[in-house]
This record gives sequence, C-alpha cells and structure tokens, in this order.
Amino acid sequence: MALTTPQARACWKEVMDDLSNKREVILIDKNVLLDTINAIDAWIVSNATNFNQALPLAARQNLTASQKTRLLMAVARRRFIGDG
Amino acid sequence: MASGDTLLVFNAHSMTPDASAGATPDTRNNHPVWDFDASTDEIVYVEAVMPRSYVGGGITVVLHWMASSATSGNAVWSVAFERHDDDAVDLDSDSFATANTATDACASATGEVAYTSIAFTDGAQIDSIAAGESFRLKISRLGSNGSDNMSGDAELLTVELKET
Repeated sequence: MALTTPQARACWKEVMDDLSNKREVILIDKNVLLDTINAIDAWIVSNATNFNQALPLAARQNLTASQKTRLLMAVARRRFIGDG
Repeated sequence: MASGDTLLVFNAHSMTPDASAGATPDTRNNHPVWDFDASTDEIVYVEAVMPRSYVGGGITVVLHWMASSATSGNAVWSVAFERHDDDAVDLDSDSFATANTATDACASATGEVAYTSIAFTDGAQIDSIAAGESFRLKISRLGSNGSDNMSGDAELLTVELKET
C-alpha cells in the first residue's frame, strides 16, 4: 500500500529540513521533490516482492519487515552515501 | 524624507517568532537569520516606531533573504502592518491590515542574498500609521501557497522600510 498524502508530505518535509540543515544544494523545486518521493514509494510498492525474493531463505522467513527495511536502508546508505 | 530614503532597518535579533507558527532562529556563517519552512506558513514579528521624519507617503518593505539549499524556485512572502495608535488599539488581540505579498526567486547561489520588495500605499495598506506611532510588522513565508515552489528553507537576514 502506498504512503498516504500526509505520510508523503511528512517525508517531504523531513527531506527538505535535512537538506536545509546541511545547506546542501538541491537543483529541483519542491513540487518535483514531492513527485520524486511519490515515485520512489510507487517503485518500492512495485518491487517489494522482488526484494523479498532476493533475500536468503532464512532471512526471508525470519526477519521482520522492519528489520528487512533497515537492512535495505543500511546497504543503500553504504553504497550510495558512504560510511557516514 | 524623500522618495527612496530609508525609514527603518531591522536585523534578525529584533524579530520575534509567532507563538504557534514561528520561524526558527538560526545562524549562517555567524549571520543571525530566521529559517522559514518550505511546507508550511511561518511568521516573525517586528515592533518599531515610525520615524518622525516620515512624511506620510507609501512605504516599501524590502526583505533580504537567502535560500538554505535552493538555487532556483520562488518563495512567496507576505507582510502586514498593525498600527498601535495612542489609547486606541488593545494589543491583546491582533489588528493587522490586509497583507501584501510578493513572489520572488531565490538568488542563484545559496549563500547569496535576494532582495524582495513589497510596496504599500499610504493609508489603509499600512493601517494608517503616522509618524511617531508604534506599530508592528508581520512577516511570513507562505510555504503552503501554490506559487511557492522553492525547496528548503528561506533564511530572512534583514528588513528595510523605505519611502516608496
């Protein structure tokens, strides 16, 4: 199930607050940023089954959804953002 | 005073946030600023006395601000005047005149300052403030406005009031 509008807007605000606090340059306007968040959410919904199937059987069967999500975040962070 | 002359100047230290929808105090390279959110409307106030040299013409409010992260996009700013004339206005409630707004692009680099001017005619638009009278300005970024498309915070640095 996709994020609700309030959930997507809360994510949007959180991302913009983080960018602002870091004073990190962003080259898209806030409407495109919200569309991007919704697109990422749609991609997650579409690919959730594939993600689960990619995990080792023991992990697939014994980890909670929250644990799997935190693992995905940890790996993506290490791969695309760095060690910080 | 003549057209274009400065009446008053305010820096961030002279501003007070709204109790429930206030902007957030911050510093940028030791410059005090107020951070205005991109996803909601936030407000600061400033109190002053209209200089005795004011001759009663229109007033232009100039906002000096930076974007925290954006290098393109527009912020929508709103300014309203509230007159505190002698033995008349009860400050326990608000009595702002109708706000004037401006939609303006941020500077091309995040540390650069954008100047946004909002003009007010003499009379009702400035709540009929006269020379020597106490007044208050309400300054808002309307982050919820559809024309405000700038990502991230707007950082208000200083404000000038000048004769139009």
